[in-house]
Formats: sequence, structure tokens, C-alpha cells
Amino acid sequence: MEAIWLKHYPAGIPAEVDVHQFASLRDMLLCSRQRFGQLPAYSNMGSSMTYAELDRSSRDFAAYLQTTLGLRKGDRVAIMMPNLLQYPVVLFGVLRAGLVVVNVNPQYTVPELEHQLADSGAAAIVVLENFAHTLQEVLEKRPTLNLAVITTEVGDMLPVVKELLTNVVVKYVKHMVPAWKIAGATEFNTALRAGRGQDVQDVPLSHDDMAFLQYTGGTTGVAKGAVLTHGNLVANVQQMTAWMARDLVEGKEVFVCPLPLYHVYALTSCLVFMKMGAHTVLVTNPKDMKAYIHDLRKYPFTIIIGVNTLYRALLDAPEFAEVDTRALKLTSAGGMAVQRVVAERWKQRTGVDIIEGYGLTETSPVVMASPLDIAQWTGTIGLPIPSTQAAILDDDGHELASGEVGEICIRGPQVMPRYWNRPDETEKVFTQDGWLRTGDMGFEDERGYFRITDRKKDMIVVSGFKVFPNQIEDVVALHPGVAEVAAIGEPDERSGEVVKIVVVKKDPELTEQALLEHCRQHLTSYKMPKIVEFRTEPLPKSNIGKILRRELRKAAATPDAASPPIPSA
Amino acid sequence: MTAKYRPRRITLRDGREVTLRAIVEADATEIVQAFERLSAQSRYYRFMEHKKQLNEAALQRGVHPRPGRDFVFVATIPAPDTIDIVGAAQYVQAGDAADRTCEFAVTVAEDWRGSGLATQLVASLVRRARRDGYKTMEGLVIAENTAMLALARKLKFKREPVLGDATVLRVQRALQTLRCASRQRSAP
Repeated sequence: MEAIWLKHYPAGIPAEVDVHQFASLRDMLLCSRQRFGQLPAYSNMGSSMTYAELDRSSRDFAAYLQTTLGLRKGDRVAIMMPNLLQYPVVLFGVLRAGLVVVNVNPQYTVPELEHQLADSGAAAIVVLENFAHTLQEVLEKRPTLNLAVITTEVGDMLPVVKELLTNVVVKYVKHMVPAWKIAGATEFNTALRAGRGQDVQDVPLSHDDMAFLQYTGGTTGVAKGAVLTHGNLVANVQQMTAWMARDLVEGKEVFVCPLPLYHVYALTSCLVFMKMGAHTVLVTNPKDMKAYIHDLRKYPFTIIIGVNTLYRALLDAPEFAEVDTRALKLTSAGGMAVQRVVAERWKQRTGVDIIEGYGLTETSPVVMASPLDIAQWTGTIGLPIPSTQAAILDDDGHELASGEVGEICIRGPQVMPRYWNRPDETEKVFTQDGWLRTGDMGFEDERGYFRITDRKKDMIVVSGFKVFPNQIEDVVALHPGVAEVAAIGEPDERSGEVVKIVVVKKDPELTEQALLEHCRQHLTSYKMPKIVEFRTEPLPKSNIGKILRRELRKAAATPDAASPPIPSA
Repeated sequence: MTAKYRPRRITLRDGREVTLRAIVEADATEIVQAFERLSAQSRYYRFMEHKKQLNEAALQRGVHPRPGRDFVFVATIPAPDTIDIVGAAQYVQAGDAADRTCEFAVTVAEDWRGSGLATQLVASLVRRARRDGYKTMEGLVIAENTAMLALARKLKFKREPVLGDATVLRVQRALQTLRCASRQRSAP
């Protein structure tokens, strides 16, 4: 296999990076503490924390986990919160204690959370109070889950007066905390205090040790955990740094992170910029455009990440006109393809190109990216980044020639070793030669740029989040009024794709509203169907009774189909 | 009327034995039970949707194959309540009768995977379809179902993409007419 892409690397980008610079993410953090100790590491809600403070707090939390809770190397700790100052403290606390982070989407419903906690075998969870009621329900349903619970409030890491005020406003004024009660739960600040006087054991950590269990859905069956090691993450940090850092200066950059840290793309981006001593501004809720733009005006940001949907929303917000973007050097996007119109408007507004990255949860996540010196929007997913091999393989694992369409497959130090407790799934996703099958169909052009043409995995990508039709169908089918259902992706201007369900009723009285209400009990908001189509005929099937999804999609693409889709709120 | 199929016992790779025979009406209850024991993934691979239960009409069609056009094999083992069905394979006529094409499907219980049972079932189907005068056998396979794709390859099925849907592949093989096929019983 010839790595044609190497010939088209911008000047100065190496073919290989040194993945051994750090033995673990803990070493990386300690190195940043030493080099950038007094510089701000993270800011959120108007408060900041230096690298030295992050080091201290995460050390205390690590001590608490090791000593008070008695957790041992390899034990899993779940984190269930949006972007707050507590997030990096808990994350690094867990990692430096030699434990494994299980990132949990705080919007998860009871069944989703239950599965993730049970499957990962988490020994502890740190949860924002606003979501503790979900956890409470899971614990009541599954008393066998042996879980230490640490709860935190929005203002816990803010200065005392602000902390009190914020926590009171969140709880009693905005009523953002539904009532909850979990026996034996410990408050986050109590845990930090408990850890303060205790020593942290220096657990030996190497590249092969697990750092994250990062959950991802499946075409069939339930979500599975991708095992991401310290080596995987260190490698991806080194690779992304080599690709993007050309114009960046250590200790000088301001990085705006509006994507949630539980998403692997935001997570690894944060690690990259922490290694460089950047000041990371954590945006808690980018949908709150007023607060988001307030942050953008307050900090002279030089780096920003996002997904197409978010850039589009910013460009459409009238207030964005008042944001000074003159310091901006780097804009990157992941999770979903950036639309040409968004890329061009962003370039026009800020003078900076959007660098697109392509990757998967299983690859920590970045494997390809568009180069910094792109002249224009390419419509490709870019070139493989340093130390990464990519190939187009047929179903039997044979390599195809340039231009031929097959499955995009990856090898590299950022590729996970396995799925957690799922040897069957692991075997399926790797070829005998060790290539990871991405599930994306595409081809490589003559310059080594890769392009996606189709998806082999039946999957819907909503604003960069993967939604698997089987999960939606499973939930919809639970409703007694439903005879048959199929979930498909429908192209959408704002989100890229939205979830559409085609339903055959068993109960003729079934309404769209009742069905969506039912879905809300089981599905996180981004997975919610946006279009509901009722059909009176059975779903199209082959002679032997297999559903023909292409027929459903075809019908959806015809504007004057017999039963037009009903948009829902 | 097609010739009857005489039940035969086969020994699988792992030493376990099953009886392979044509489906009969009385199998309906066991088919329902076998379906209920299947994992969500197996059901999805078979129906390409999340099926909670077998639809009665489809079940009845399944246990009453049209002679000469459709055929269903079941693999059974003895069980406290008479038998258990641990695998099934079927074909039905696809398209017009003149096309002489049939579509097939095969399902094997979770704990009988890897025993070679699916291969035996499909190989038997191929022979049977040939005797029924079919010229082509085809099937739709979820692209991620690597076990089924490997099986199809072993049994000389060709693989081709399904236009407009990369999540599914079509496998297809020609069924050459054997000399004296109509009276020759397939070798055990």
C-alpha cells in the first residue's frame, strides 16, 4: 500500500509522530502543570482555574477515590455532567488515580443510563444534581448496582459567594433541579476536602492501560464501550498537534469549547490544547446563544471547535456580528460534514478556514483531517493524519485501487484495542490484518484525499451525534398501539439529518403526540423522531419478509408521495 | 407435487446431532418459541426490523409452504416437550414464476452458532431449490452480518451491492440443473 497522501502533506507535517513522548495522560497533565502552572487552564461561568489549581483539585479527588472509596487500578468511574469546571477536575482525578473514565451523556434517560452503568460495571459516578433524579430511578430499578455516588451542584467550583448564589438560583429560582434522594451520596466538595489530607498512590500507568470506556451505539443490539487506552489518547493528541499547531504558541492560546466533554471529539481536543498550555473556555450550553456569545465577547479566543450545526447557528445569530474574531487562528469541526455554505460564510466572516476532522469513537477519534492550507472547501474528509494508515477494502478484506469504492479502514496507534466485554463485536470490526472497519463506504482520490459515498452501518447522524435506527425502532415498537415501525434518516438543513419514523398503527386511535410522548420517556432529545409518518399499508418487504429500507428512503425522497410526512414540533 | 423430504440426522462439527426435515403444520408452536429465544440481533438480521412477535399470517404461510414453490427446513433436537427447533431455512418464489428465482433466509439459535448448522441448512436448501426447478437463489444480507456473508461465499454465492442501500448486500448463485435431478435424492 502506498501512502499517496504523504506527498500532499503541507510543508512541515511529519509522516510519523512521537507517540512515546508521554507514558500516560497523567504524565501529560503533570507536564502542563510544571510548564504552565500559573496560567489559566479552564474558565466557565466567569470563573477560572489555573493549571496548578487543576493539578491540586484533581490530586485531591484522586486521593478521595483511592483512599476513601478504596478504588483500585482499572475500576470504572462514570461522569455525568455538562461542561463545568468540575469536569476536568473529576476527569483528571480519575485518570491520575489509575482509574477509567466512563463519560455519560447527562441527558440520558433511565434505560440508557442503566445500560451504561451495568455494562461498564462502574464503581462510582459523579453526577450533576440536575440529573440525579435519573440516577435515582436507575438505582431503585437495579439495587444490585454497587455504586458510590458523588453529587455536584452547578456552582461548586465557583468562588464562595458566587457558588452560593449560583446554586440557589439554579435550584430555587430556575427550578432546574428536579427533586431527588439518593441514600449515602457524597457532595463533591466534601469529597475534595476528604481527599485533601490523603496521599495519592502513584499507580504505574503505561500506554496499554485503559483510560476511557467511551460508549457508542450499534446497528443492532445495545451500546457498547470502546476501550480507549492512555496510549490511544496520547497518540491522537500528538497526531492532532502535529496537524494543527503550526500557528499556535504554547501558553498563549485561548480555546473555546462549546461541545460537551463527554463527546470524544471535544475530549481529545481539550487534551491537545491543554498539552500546549492553552486557556480553555468551557461553554456549558451553546444552545443558550446569549450566554455563548457573551463568552465569545469576553475572551479573545484564538481556537474554536464545533459541528456544522453550531457554526451555522452562530453565523445566523445577529449578536455574532459584535464578536471580535480578529485573534482567531484555528477553527475545527468534527462529528458531521461541514456544508459548503457554512464553510464559506465562516471564512468570509472570520477569515479562517474550517478544518474538518473525520474519525470515530473507536479511533480516539481523529484519523483524517483537511490540511491547514486548504484553498477551498473540498467536500472530502481529508488526508490521513501522521502515523495513520488508511485503505479502501472490499468485504473480503482485499485492498482496492485508488478511485474504487469500498469500506474505509484504519490502522494506527489511536485505534482502540477492543470493545469492552464484547469479543464478538471486536472480531467483527477488525479484519484479520488488523484493519478497523469504519462502516463508511468511500474512495481515495489520486491525491490521497478520502471521500465518503455511503454508510454501511445503518445510522443517522444528527448534529454530529450518532443515532442508530434499531434503538429508535425498539422504543417505538414498545408502544402497544404500534404494529410496525422503521426509523430512517431524512436530510435536514440545520442538523444534517433528522430521525424520521414510518409507523403502521395497530391501534387506529394512536396519535403522533402520544407516540412522541412515549419516545420521550426512553430517548435522549437528539435521538427523538422529528418526523412521524403513519402508513396504512404494511412496510415494504422482500418476498421472504425482510424490510426494504431503500424503498422507505426512496418514498421519503419523493416530495409528492401519497402520505406526506408530518413535521412535528 | 414435489417429492417428500425424508428426515435425516446429521452430526455437526462439534459432535452434536440434529434432525433435518421439512416443516409441518404442527411446528407452528415450536417456531414461535424458537423465535422468542432469538436475540434482538438475530431477529434483526432475519427480518431487518425489530420484530416483537411473529405475525400470525406470516407464521401460517411459513408452516404451509406452497408445494414446488416454497420450502422450509427445520433442524430439531429432542426436548422435554417433544422437540426444539434450533435452526430453520426457507426459500420462497421471488418475482414471476417465469423468473425461476427464489429468495432464501436462514436462522440458527444463538447457542448453535459456529457448529456448521447454517451451512448444512443452506446447502440443503440449494439442492432442494434446484429440484424444484429454480435457476437462481438469492438473499438479502445485512452488510455487517459477516458470518452470513462468509457462509454465502463458502457456498459459492456471489455478492453484489443493493442499489441505493449500502447497509444491505444481495447474495446470489445459479442453480445448475443436474442430470436426472428430478429423481436423485441429495446425498446425505
